[in-house]
Amino acid sequence: MKNRIRVLRAEHEWSQAEVADRLGIARQTVNALETGKYAPSLPLAFKISRLFGKAVDEIFDPNSVEE
Amino acid sequence: MYETSPRKNAPASSLNPTDRAKRQYKIRFWIAIAVYVAIVFPVSFQVNHTAGALRIALALTPVLPMIAILIFAIQMMRGIDELERQIHIEALAIAAGVTALLAITYGFLEVAHFPRPSAWFTYAVVMAAWCIATPFVSRKYKG
Repeated sequence: MKNRIRVLRAEHEWSQAEVADRLGIARQTVNALETGKYAPSLPLAFKISRLFGKAVDEIFDPNSVEE
Repeated sequence: MYETSPRKNAPASSLNPTDRAKRQYKIRFWIAIAVYVAIVFPVSFQVNHTAGALRIALALTPVLPMIAILIFAIQMMRGIDELERQIHIEALAIAAGVTALLAITYGFLEVAHFPRPSAWFTYAVVMAAWCIATPFVSRKYKG
């Protein structure tokens, strides 16, 4: 699923490890999210939305979801 | 002060939940293995010098730390993050399928008078298949 996590992370000048710690997940998971290889669960998507102060659909592109 | 990344020697309280769960599991796993090693040899020796219910109870004693490891592994799986959990569950499903396939294949070979394997066979196959499947499954999520 396409998303803006990498862009938002760069805006905050956070490393993947920092984002991982703030979300309580593994750094590899942050990488999988950024590259669109992994679509997060709804609770994690809301955590990401709270972390960056953006709505979920401002971060994740709903049109990129595979049918 | 905010932790920027999980450090190897950082106190458990400063780690994020997924790292804490993995570290906790490693510590508990090695304690259980130490207990297993401490009891398996005396028990193996003593089991042939007893009889009846005591013999069965003694033979089953090494299973206790193994039960503990299973409980610790379940706790670890619940504590790690959702992607790692998904990878392990997928790898375990593959391992279960591979084991079932090998068991049924060998079952047919038994019809051709192959020797009956030990019950250890199942354990070894599940663990080996899980170890082999995990990196293949996790490759799918690498950028």
